[in-house]
Amino acid sequence: MKIALTVNGRKVGGELEPRTLLVHYIRENLNLTGTHIGCETSYCGACTVIMDGRPVKSCTVLAVGADGADIMTIEGLARDGQLHPVQEGFWERHGLQCGYCTPGMIMAAVGLLEQNNNPSEDEIRHGIEGNLCRCTGYHNIVKAIEYASAKMRGEQPAPAEWEVTA
Amino acid sequence: MTTRLDGPEKVTGAALFPADVVRPDFLHAQIVFTDQPHARLVDLDVEPARAVPGVVEILTAADIPVNEYGLVFRDQPVLIGPGNELTAVAENISRWEADQLCVVIAENIEAARAGAAAIKVEWEELPILGDIDTSLQSTVMLHPENGLDTNAYHHLRIRKGDIDAGWSEADVVIEGTYEVPYQEHAFLQPEAAISYIDEEGRVTVEIAGQWTVEDQEQIAHALDLPTEAVRVKYPAIGGAFGGREDMSMQIVLAAAARKLAARGIRRPIRCQWSREESIVGHHKRHRGRIKARLGARRDGKIVAVEADCYLDAGGYNYTSNKVLGNLHLCVGGPYEIPNARIDSYAVYTNAVPGGAFRGFGAPQGAMVAETQMNKLALALDMDPIELRLLNSLRDGSMGITQAEMPLGVSLPFVIDAAANAASEEFQVGELRPVATLPSEESAIRRGRGFACGYKNVGFSFGFPERCEAAVELFGDDEVERAILYHGAAEVGQGSHTALRQMAAMAIGIDYERVETVYSDTATSGDSGSASASRLTWMSGNSILGAVEEATKKWNDGERPARGEFRFVPPPTQTLDPVTGAGQPNFAYGYVAEVVDLSVDIETGHIRVDRVICANDVGRVINRTLVEGQVEGAIVQAHGYAITEDLQVKDARITNPRLSAYLIPGIDDIPAEIRTILLEHPDPRGPWGVRGMAEMPLVPYAAAVVAALHDATGVWFHQLPLTPSRVLAGLTANPL
Ligand code: FES
Ligand code: FES
Repeated sequence: MKIALTVNGRKVGGELEPRTLLVHYIRENLNLTGTHIGCETSYCGACTVIMDGRPVKSCTVLAVGADGADIMTIEGLARDGQLHPVQEGFWERHGLQCGYCTPGMIMAAVGLLEQNNNPSEDEIRHGIEGNLCRCTGYHNIVKAIEYASAKMRGEQPAPAEWEVTA
Repeated sequence: MTTRLDGPEKVTGAALFPADVVRPDFLHAQIVFTDQPHARLVDLDVEPARAVPGVVEILTAADIPVNEYGLVFRDQPVLIGPGNELTAVAENISRWEADQLCVVIAENIEAARAGAAAIKVEWEELPILGDIDTSLQSTVMLHPENGLDTNAYHHLRIRKGDIDAGWSEADVVIEGTYEVPYQEHAFLQPEAAISYIDEEGRVTVEIAGQWTVEDQEQIAHALDLPTEAVRVKYPAIGGAFGGREDMSMQIVLAAAARKLAARGIRRPIRCQWSREESIVGHHKRHRGRIKARLGARRDGKIVAVEADCYLDAGGYNYTSNKVLGNLHLCVGGPYEIPNARIDSYAVYTNAVPGGAFRGFGAPQGAMVAETQMNKLALALDMDPIELRLLNSLRDGSMGITQAEMPLGVSLPFVIDAAANAASEEFQVGELRPVATLPSEESAIRRGRGFACGYKNVGFSFGFPERCEAAVELFGDDEVERAILYHGAAEVGQGSHTALRQMAAMAIGIDYERVETVYSDTATSGDSGSASASRLTWMSGNSILGAVEEATKKWNDGERPARGEFRFVPPPTQTLDPVTGAGQPNFAYGYVAEVVDLSVDIETGHIRVDRVICANDVGRVINRTLVEGQVEGAIVQAHGYAITEDLQVKDARITNPRLSAYLIPGIDDIPAEIRTILLEHPDPRGPWGVRGMAEMPLVPYAAAVVAALHDATGVWFHQLPLTPSRVLAGLTANPL
């Protein structure tokens, strides 16, 4: 089957097997390997990308189902070498350890903040409840998203605990 | 605050994990598991697979020159099948459902899978020894090559003081039998690797592991090659937690690259496991059963400890004998115990092998020791904190193995710190709303529990311990920049950042001026593993030594000045086979925790409202990295204690999926984690550093059990505390 779509602002497409999953298309055909696979059964969220403005788990979508769609992966987030505020937040607020869940977490957070630019802590938790992390214990992930949300509203992020106590 | 070195590439997707290298000339490998917990191979016909279009090569046991491996001793065939008969272990018997049978290499993964499906294999089924009891009662020996007439192949003893005198002195005796469960690592990145012959002719494996040199040596042994002919390189590693300490696909992928090269095919090979293959295909935290007795005088002084510990080692040893040793040390608790009798056994079965997992036997031990102590406090009507402080190990104390504790025993300090924080800052009952529980307050009971623990830092029981570093200093008059070469694995804990910080501290230059070259046997020495809470401790010492060497040369005028150093800590001992006497360790870490929880007595759901963790880390090198280790360890411990329930039936894992094996998600975790870092220097640690990354996992389950008892009046002796188990326990013991 033939598909045509936009990925990170670039027009891509071509012939492919009808049963190809979007995540495989992104990783293998486009060589955008920042989108990870942790389960392939819609459970871990490591494969989350933004499709037409909404976060989706790309292992649950057939590539043909993304025909005509506008997709953003983790590689499309930074602009002109400038980290996106969510990326900055995960780095600054230590929202990652091994980093394997991180691209999916970041894309889920970007999706959340696009819908709601001032989420409460509960709304943040709800926004990433489909994403698993085995390393961090999640607390710093919430802080990373709070940092990003403040930045995106043009506010100064609250200082980190270590900045207060240091 | 130094942010993570690997932060930018990990937030942009640029970091390359082993599955992220995509090259058009790749061949794809599918590893075929035997799918037989216990069976003898009668016939293997791979010819039909060769006929599948796209299949390039098939690797079988005959392709492995020395068909055996194992981290501590070599009791496992690399591939099951007729081999070269150079091994003691019988090569044609599958003792585990995920023993590997062969590897199909093909142009694409579909062809590799089709090839795997076409393989014809005939098995003679042997009796399945599915659990400890069956195995202990069976006359079938899983490893007859060891010459024993029992599957309980490793037995450790402690005979300390006079146990009968101890019991006669005891006013109170606490008894209990505990069932501790498996735990799956569930690192988010399933096993994956690539292999190829590098530009210098070395067979090379790029994989996520924990110890490059160990991987290299195991490959070299099985392939009958000098170690220099093998190269192991770690790209980004997607979590490990002990689960990558043993071989998964290292050896077979190296063998496959060599076999293809012998045919003149020089194409890299790629292999990736699905989540299911990952969960079935690597070892677990051991399940086990421990029967324990604890005796104390009316004043609270411990006078006797007895325990019989059994761990299910599974089909192969992996690190079971070492994990057993740690359980053995921990099952009495970090206390002064004058009289003890402890017998600990590792038992071969046909279930999944037990092996390394953060805590390495200490969590199982602490579950028993601390629950016993909490029951004792209740029986004596004594404050559990006071009871601990009365019996706590201190500097100068004799440990359970009749050797003096390494100096810097800070258990009383962590106990105090956790207890003070709990009583000063938080009253039981002032809690945040519990969103996930039903709103009828009447069904909710609240409770608080305490537990503490200790765990060794570094390799134990005489296992050779060392760590190498090399440092180069550049400049004219002053050192302008430096390069650190180190094998340390960055598994997410932040080692690559912390090591660079320590190099900068040792040299006395800015962090930015230190370059680092890591985790490649071609450039770095033997770091030892990223395990046993040892890496910062050992690496810091190796870096201090290397910088000292380099500085000497610098002062002699050498430019650049290169220093190499191999740090060797004080030797440890294997325990005496009869009395268990000996010095097993050179350093320990200490931790204490308070857990506040709510339980719904109608549904059995537990919600942990707050955790206080006091961990003595000796010296903080990087606060956020250390706190990240504490939080991550507690959430893993939470899974161990409450949510993670690996199902094994007839020696087969029946729920190898993240949808059925539930690691904590963000809705499950403790609502609040309060981390207290103490800095009582370890006299042997670099800058006073202590190992710390396992400790917070150690006492958590026992603290949860105590809090659940506080809430409901019922003691639980089995984990995980799933709603159905809690409900069953409450029903059997009505309030
Ligand atoms: S890989 Fe898609 S949800 Fe896990
Ligand atoms: S950082 Fe390792 S899984 Fe999230």
